[in-house]
Amino acid sequence: MTSLDVSTDAARRPFSGRRVRLGDLLLQGAAAIAALGALVLVILIVWKVIQGARLSLSTFGLGFLTHVVWDPVHFKFGAASFLYGTAITSVGALILATPIAIGAALFLSELAPAGIRGPVTALVETLAAIPSVVIGLWGILVLAPFLRDHVDPALHSTLGFIPLFGPATYGSNVFTAIVVLTIMILPIIASISRELFLAVPTELKEGALGLGMTRWEMIRGVVFPYTRGGVAAAMILGLGRAIGEAIAVSMVIGGALGISINIFQPGQTLAGQIAGQFTSSTSALFTASLLYLALILLVFSIVVNLVAQFIVRRSARHVGSAR
Amino acid sequence: MPRNGKLARISLVVAAAAAVAAVAVVTAGAASARSTAGTINGAGSTFVAPLVNKWMGPVQSNLGIQLNYSAVGSTAGVQDISTKQSDFGASDAPLSQFPQFQCPCVQIPWALAATAVVYNLGGSLQHLNLTGPVLAQIYLGKITKWNAGAIKKLNKGRALPDEKITVVHRLDGSGTTYNFTDYLSHVSHAWSSGPGTGTSVTWPVGLSGNHSSGVSALVHSNPGAIGYVDVDYAIVNHLQIMKMKNKSGHYVLPRAAGIKAAAQLDTHPAKDGSLSIVNPPASKKYRNAYPICTYTYVDVQKSSGAATGDLKKLIGWAITKGQSFGPPIVFEPLPKAVVTFDKKQLKKIHS
Repeated sequence: MTSLDVSTDAARRPFSGRRVRLGDLLLQGAAAIAALGALVLVILIVWKVIQGARLSLSTFGLGFLTHVVWDPVHFKFGAASFLYGTAITSVGALILATPIAIGAALFLSELAPAGIRGPVTALVETLAAIPSVVIGLWGILVLAPFLRDHVDPALHSTLGFIPLFGPATYGSNVFTAIVVLTIMILPIIASISRELFLAVPTELKEGALGLGMTRWEMIRGVVFPYTRGGVAAAMILGLGRAIGEAIAVSMVIGGALGISINIFQPGQTLAGQIAGQFTSSTSALFTASLLYLALILLVFSIVVNLVAQFIVRRSARHVGSAR
Repeated sequence: MPRNGKLARISLVVAAAAAVAAVAVVTAGAASARSTAGTINGAGSTFVAPLVNKWMGPVQSNLGIQLNYSAVGSTAGVQDISTKQSDFGASDAPLSQFPQFQCPCVQIPWALAATAVVYNLGGSLQHLNLTGPVLAQIYLGKITKWNAGAIKKLNKGRALPDEKITVVHRLDGSGTTYNFTDYLSHVSHAWSSGPGTGTSVTWPVGLSGNHSSGVSALVHSNPGAIGYVDVDYAIVNHLQIMKMKNKSGHYVLPRAAGIKAAAQLDTHPAKDGSLSIVNPPASKKYRNAYPICTYTYVDVQKSSGAATGDLKKLIGWAITKGQSFGPPIVFEPLPKAVVTFDKKQLKKIHS
């Protein structure tokens, strides 16, 4: 049967031609529904959060962001304490995790003997598989007492002139939360960076070594600039996880109100406060204020994501022009 | 033709699957989250959870009712019963504490226990003495060390350490917090005009833990910590318990005798069923009363539908025979007057 016979074929077998197009149509339709569904879901979630927070938005307005108060009995709520807690714990965790993660990624991609690369990589990625609540439990029972007895006082006595390392009394404090978050975001940054370092073209690396560079000079001059955008994206991914982490953080941070530069004081994060108090709401304003906290967290995450995309795009441009 | 036959078979399978799914959805929708005959679902206070758990076996064998209980906290329990997500809600705080939830419910005090003040100091410092005003000062952050003059005065001859007091409280909304802050408001003007009474308050100092287990964990892992939990949790977790001074001047431990004495304070519940027995006044009758005792309530919808019969049987049993399961876990049997009131409240429930 030649193509000229298609019309008569279609008349004799009415389903065959249509079925081929039907399949395509179904595929297109299903994929479009999936994509649209994700978009609609995000919009619905944001809309519902704004709707739920409306009472608190109208009662407190933007002053909510600057007030350090959380008094359900007298109907006074404010997010400043938790905003500060989220900022300092996630930034602190990023500062602590990034050098370790990049070091581990370098080791696993460039420097390790071939035999141990596989197992060690698997172990680093297993760290990401540990559930948050297990890390939180380990944190409150093992890590917090250890830090309180051995690490915090040592840091305070050596670096106490910096207000950041003030007097240390509680085991559950911002520093313990930072350590817990570092453990949680380390595998994300490390495994993505490792993949990026492995993807650097070998001819570039060999060219550098051929010119007489040392290994470190090669890494610093070839690998890092090439992977700058990707590593930045990995860091932002880790930051995003740290911002949203609720369970593990709320178990070790101490749940206290107030802003203190001393990282050995207890604090509270946006996610931790929402998770800890959501079933405790005793008034409509209380619930609305918790949703206002959720809205702030959403905006925070979206801004962080947009900044990440901007950084990635800028680095990609530089890499393109450098070639 | 083969191709058409395949299409027909595929469409038949898809139609059959869709029909099964539709039937499943419809029947699931018809079955409500509430109980089927013979099952009662309840949620709420962690305070009363040990007692409710003890009731499950006897209730099954004596009444043929399967009792399911989720200890999600008083606030969540009240929310569940007001939205009819469960058959009963258990709360340590009276319904008036939850203005947000509209619940056409009957409130029935069904258990009686106490909140223990726990702490973590060396083994030789068991059963230290403390008064209400000093406790309030500690929780306000005014007294910060264990060897402060005010505490030393109450514990002459005990070697109190020069250690910072780590204050611990609850992060989630809790009837235990309500009982504790109710007591602090009674004994300290600074507290009642400051943080006040509630299931969730603003704490001037200290660390927060989630649920009684979180508070116990924090007290356990921080030497020099002080906290408050239900007395049963304190005993089970081997925490040191404070002797609290009552208004008659005696230092009392949260034990059966202390709770029984305190319960004499108010045996006639208010019209809505609530009772407050914190801080009994100075009098011979309350000589041995423990000042931080509380009733805990079961809240039931006035019209409880299909579950009414089982609910009435369950609660009727709980307030009478069920009370005998209380003493080993430091729940004191209800006074007779309260049981009489409860039986009258039960009559208000209908299907």
